[in-house]
Formats: sequence, structure tokens, C-alpha cells
Amino acid sequence: MTKLALIGLDCADPDLLRELLPQLPTISALVSEGSFARLRSVDPPITIPAWMSMMTGTDPGALGVYGFRNRADYSYTGLRVTTSAAFRAETVWDTLGRHGLRSILLGIPGTYPPKPVRGVLVSGFLAPGTDAAYTYPTALKDEIAAVVGEYVLDVRGFRTDNKAWLIDELREMTKKRFKLARHLVTAHDWDLFAMVEIGTDRIHHGLWSHYDKAHRKYDPDSPFHDAIPDYYRLIDAELAQLLDAMPADTRVMIVSDHGAQRMDGGIGINEWLIQEGYLTLREYPDKPTRIGDLIAAKQVDWSRTAAWGEGGYYGRVFLNVTGREPEGIVSPRDYVRVRDELTDAITAIPDETGAAIGTRVFRPEELYPAVNGIPPDLFVYFGDLRWRSIGTIGWNRIHFHENDTGPDDANHAPYGILISRPGDSHDERSILDVKGMILEHFGLGPKEK
Amino acid sequence: MEKRSIVVSADIVQVIVDHLSELSAGSVSEYVETVLRTALMEAGYIPPYSPEEEQQVENRLRDLGYLE
Repeated sequence: MTKLALIGLDCADPDLLRELLPQLPTISALVSEGSFARLRSVDPPITIPAWMSMMTGTDPGALGVYGFRNRADYSYTGLRVTTSAAFRAETVWDTLGRHGLRSILLGIPGTYPPKPVRGVLVSGFLAPGTDAAYTYPTALKDEIAAVVGEYVLDVRGFRTDNKAWLIDELREMTKKRFKLARHLVTAHDWDLFAMVEIGTDRIHHGLWSHYDKAHRKYDPDSPFHDAIPDYYRLIDAELAQLLDAMPADTRVMIVSDHGAQRMDGGIGINEWLIQEGYLTLREYPDKPTRIGDLIAAKQVDWSRTAAWGEGGYYGRVFLNVTGREPEGIVSPRDYVRVRDELTDAITAIPDETGAAIGTRVFRPEELYPAVNGIPPDLFVYFGDLRWRSIGTIGWNRIHFHENDTGPDDANHAPYGILISRPGDSHDERSILDVKGMILEHFGLGPKEK
Repeated sequence: MEKRSIVVSADIVQVIVDHLSELSAGSVSEYVETVLRTALMEAGYIPPYSPEEEQQVENRLRDLGYLE
């Protein structure tokens, strides 16, 4: 049975990649010898739920994981960072392990803290640092240090105006990750090799406006026009070396968790909720302040608050429900009405000129057949994800063309990529199909998916 | 980290010893500790992060734009 290499390029976008293909000989060859499909991400198309949905073949509703932080309970302060402990559905490597097959796992988001695996595991970027136990087995840490020196989990602070520094950091990180990948595939036994390079996501967020002529911040005189193509050329060259280190008949799949698109701006979700009377503070802050800090400082008047929100690449709205939240005021019988009213009102928020932006709002039960854990009451894709959600309060406005935490040029898009050699006959696949495709490669039937 | 000895049935230890390579662990102790840590973490008895680590990761996620 041949080996399978699953190479994840976080945030790699199908349209961008098609545009760059002529500059990428390795990936182009894989496409010519195989196939290139769009890969529909999950909702929300966010790194952590998307990668683990791919690896488990299970959607975020069934996983009960809706983002980087999830509500652990119905308190106002119960948001917790998502870790491997949240994922109970069987991963593809656990299924393979039950059948005696070994995996090498490198940088997959959602794998910290590492669980035992039949093979080796290097956690993704949510490990607190390389001082932590971020590998399985633990001795792998020493092996990594001997191969690459200080391993870089993620670039530190991509929201910077110092683009030259950012580009250098990204390239250095990626070179180290691929060097480690080459070492792992030659030094360890494996059937499945799965890695995720996070640098593609970071360079999109950091430099999209320097590449995309449609971006409102596009500067024709920018010295960084070629930064994204340059970075993809690096990925392509590193990929060529990695594939050279594998048997020639290895099945190769290049995948991404979601795509990318220009970001037009941000909507201050909590500023808007205040403006519309859904959220009441005891005192409006005199400087931009995070909603979590205002909640911790008891500045939210819950007796006059029907809803509050969280920011990020998509917006989350939570209703303050009687008998559910500690000081809830929305009675359960009014829940549907208030949620529908909010849905309509949020959908209608225009840009600062009054023009519609095409916001989409979802209720959890619309997105998932099963809803586990504690989802937000509403998922908000401002401008269909061309606008992000700004959660901080203290701006006295709701429209933004810069983030409250630094420059960011891109947002996520619902379609990622699936390049496969040998080819796959579909033009479009779901991210939830990937686990099944891997199992089929290893001759494992549908009941194992 | 301080370590303490515990008593585990010999047959279980022998199974781990026999399958150490498949289990990919460096030693019986490492395997048992990782399995126990995972089980206790999933059951909510031990946190995946220390409070300092969780703050550090939240700050990084904020810097990365995932949280605001």
C-alpha cells in the first residue's frame, strides 16, 4: 500500500492559487498529473474547527467547537481556548492507528496538548511555546531541536506595519517547518504524513492589500507587490524537496481549511448593539476596551442587556436569556422573536455611506444537523466575510477600516483547495470528505469514516 | 515536575512493554502518564493550560486577529 502525504496550506485560496500556478512548477505538476478542486470549508470557516472537521470528518456542530474560544458554560466569563481536549470525534490518524498504520503529524491546529498517537506528533500553533510538552513522544522535542534549532510554532505578531520583518520571519518559519518535515519522513516509519503550514494564512492577512488590486488599501507603488507570490514560490520549492524525500508513488493531497479574500473593513458589533439598545453599559469607556474586560469589571448592566457580541473574523452574538445566563432578561418565550429581530437588523447594517454590504446571519440549527456544546446564538458574516467583527467598545462609531489590534488585510473565504495526485474526479469537495478519502486510500471502508 | 510511583497490574505493564513501538512511547511511564493526562484533561479534571499559558495563548490569538 502506498503512503499518503496530506500537505495543509492554511488559508490557501483556489482563485489565488490558480493565478499563481504558472509560477509554481511543483504544484503545477501535481495538478497536471492529478486534479484541482475547490474544497468547501465548514461554517464558520475558521482555522481550528475547519482543520479538526477535516481530520475527523465531523462538522463543528457535532464537534461542539465553533471557534478558537468556546463557551464552557453559560456564565458571562466562560469562554475558553479550544484545545485537543475538546475533540472527542475520532481523528483519521486514530482510525489508521487502530488498523496498525502509523502517522506523522506536524503543526495541525487543535492537537495541543498532544494525545498519544501511533506515530509522532508535533502540535500546532496553539501550543504555548516550545518549553511546553508540545510533542508526542516527548523525546521528539530533543530531536526537533537537533534538526532545526529553535522550532517556530507561529510567526510572532503578523499585525505589523514592518512588512519586511514579517516576510523574513515567515520565510524563516516555513523553511524550518519543511526542514523538519523532510527529517521526519526520512527518520520515522509512516503511512500517513499530515502537516499544516500556517505561514500561508499569516502572509495573506499581513500582505493581501499589497497584492490584490481590488483592495481599498492597494498601493501601486508598494515594494511588497510580489511578497505573496514570492512566498508561494518558496512553498513550492520546499514542497519539491519534501516530495523528493518521499517514495515516488506517494499519494499527495494539498489542502486548505478555507480560502482568503480582501477585507473591506470592520463592524463594531458591540457598538452597534449599544446604539440599538440591546447592550447597556454602566459607564461608556473613555478608550477602546474589550468586552471581556468590561464584563470582568462589572461594567455591563445585565438587567438592561439582551445581547452582547464577540469580535473576530466572524461575529458571534449571545443572547442574555432568563434561566440560562446568570442575569438573563430575554424570556425563553421571546427568544425566537428577539433572535429573529436581531438577525434582520444585523443583516441590514450598511456601510458608512448607507450601501448594503451583504451580511449573512445564521442560527446554529440552520448550519448543523446536531448542535453540541454551547454555540453562539447567532453567527454573523459581516459583508459575507469581507468585513470582520470588532468587539471592543469605546470608539463611538461602528464602521472601521482598520482593526482595533493592528493592520490586517484579508478575511477568510468559504472555499479552500484540494489538489490530489492521483487525481480525484470531483470539481468540488467538502472538507468533511477528506477523512473518508484518506481512509479509502488505505482500503478502509465507509463504516470507518 | 515531581514524580510519584504508583502500582499498576503487571499484565498491563507487560502489554505496554510488548507494544511500546506501536504505541510510539519512549517508556511505559511516558505512555501511562500521557494516557492519564489526556483522560483527566478530557474529563475536565486538569486544565490543558496553566492560567499563565492560557493568557499567553489568548494574547497571541488576539494579536493574530482571531479574538477582539
